[in-house]
Amino acid sequence: MFKKLLISMLFLVPFSVQSADIPITGNVQSRCVITTDTPGVYGNPNAYTLTTASADGGVQPIVRYDVTLANAYYAQITTPTSFAQSPSLSDTVTWTGSTEVSSISDATNMGSYETNKTTFGQTTQYDLTATGSTWFKSSSTATYGGNKAFPGGTYTANVEAICVAK
Amino acid sequence: MLKKLLLMGVLVFWPSYCYSESIQPYFGTTPNAAAGGNTWIMNNVLPTPPGLDINGVIYNYTIQKDVNDSAKVHVQNENVNGTGYIFRETDEWQAGSLGGTEIRKVVPVIPNLARELWGNGSIEIEGNATVEDPNVVYMYKVDPCYDPQFDPNCPGYKVQIPEIEIVDIDSIYSSNNETIEIATTETDYDIYEEDELLESDEEDEEREKMRLEAALAAVDNSEIFANAFAQAQILISMNMAIQMNSYYAANIQGGVYNDSLTLVDKKIEDNKQGLRNGFAQQLLHEQMIQEQYN
Repeated sequence: MFKKLLISMLFLVPFSVQSADIPITGNVQSRCVITTDTPGVYGNPNAYTLTTASADGGVQPIVRYDVTLANAYYAQITTPTSFAQSPSLSDTVTWTGSTEVSSISDATNMGSYETNKTTFGQTTQYDLTATGSTWFKSSSTATYGGNKAFPGGTYTANVEAICVAK
Repeated sequence: MLKKLLLMGVLVFWPSYCYSESIQPYFGTTPNAAAGGNTWIMNNVLPTPPGLDINGVIYNYTIQKDVNDSAKVHVQNENVNGTGYIFRETDEWQAGSLGGTEIRKVVPVIPNLARELWGNGSIEIEGNATVEDPNVVYMYKVDPCYDPQFDPNCPGYKVQIPEIEIVDIDSIYSSNNETIEIATTETDYDIYEEDELLESDEEDEEREKMRLEAALAAVDNSEIFANAFAQAQILISMNMAIQMNSYYAANIQGGVYNDSLTLVDKKIEDNKQGLRNGFAQQLLHEQMIQEQYN
């Protein structure tokens, strides 16, 4: 009798509710890799101009896109519109810039990248239709307002290069 | 504590010890093969060590053409053993591609192609275009142990043993024949010498002695000749056996062998001498018969 009672009591005891969160992890390897090939340098042909033109002592920055999946990305490259680092500037700076294809690794499928590019503002977009590497070269010129002389100091600006998935 | 330090020391120096024991292949690149123009001679480009294996070609150039033109650019190496190319990479520049665009390529090459097969290289252009600033570089790997004798640590290295000619000593010197040869030589020499003395009117006794020596020497010589003769006879008999065997094994072709004897006279005369002999035999026979009655 005592044993039966004990068994029935066991059924009456509510079981404790347990739960667990099982993680699912995954790694997505980027199929569009951006690498700085050549950092740019501003030349200073006159007091109020900073330019990457080689004729003026500058170096054009070059960025490389390595794509392993065709027709999946756009390359968007934006030339600078402001200094990331500079002395205090009291006047406006006028920015101009452009980007062009410097080198390709596939003549047949990348040869028309340059003719098919689109430009909006300071941004140039390329349709990366082929796998391989493409080098893009940018130029940038900053002119200080009113042809004033730039204050002395270090000036740094950035070219923004991104991969945009289609 | 000391043991631990020793163990650590061994572990630290072990990898460098292992590395020094083996000969590792090394990699390299050639200078710009197209520095002197759009054709180049591979022997002037590739380094000389044996075991060199080209594993890739890196090239870049800038195309100059009208945007509406199309062109093909071939970067290639002739195949020495054939009419084709051992390496050929083609860039097809279609209409719409801008002139002034640079192409950069890294092209792997089928490994283990013999270096001798790499013929002269060139950049060939089909179409209305030109190439500027070409740069062609060959990547290669050199296996120093291509020749195992390069270093004792190479696999397959064999310790070189100087080649010594094997000589049959018995053919040069035999202790058994020494006495005979010396004796023969000396005796012959003496014989000839003494023969000359005999001719110069020496005394008869001395002549007899020398003849005796010559006779003794002749005995020795005769033994040698006898042995040689016996051996020669053995060889002859062996050869005879070989020669006769071919006759034993010979087969005579079958058929009928007709009598080829022809009697011209058809009558054979009695032999008179035989007749006489026959009479003598008959007489003797009759005498023997008569004797039994005597």
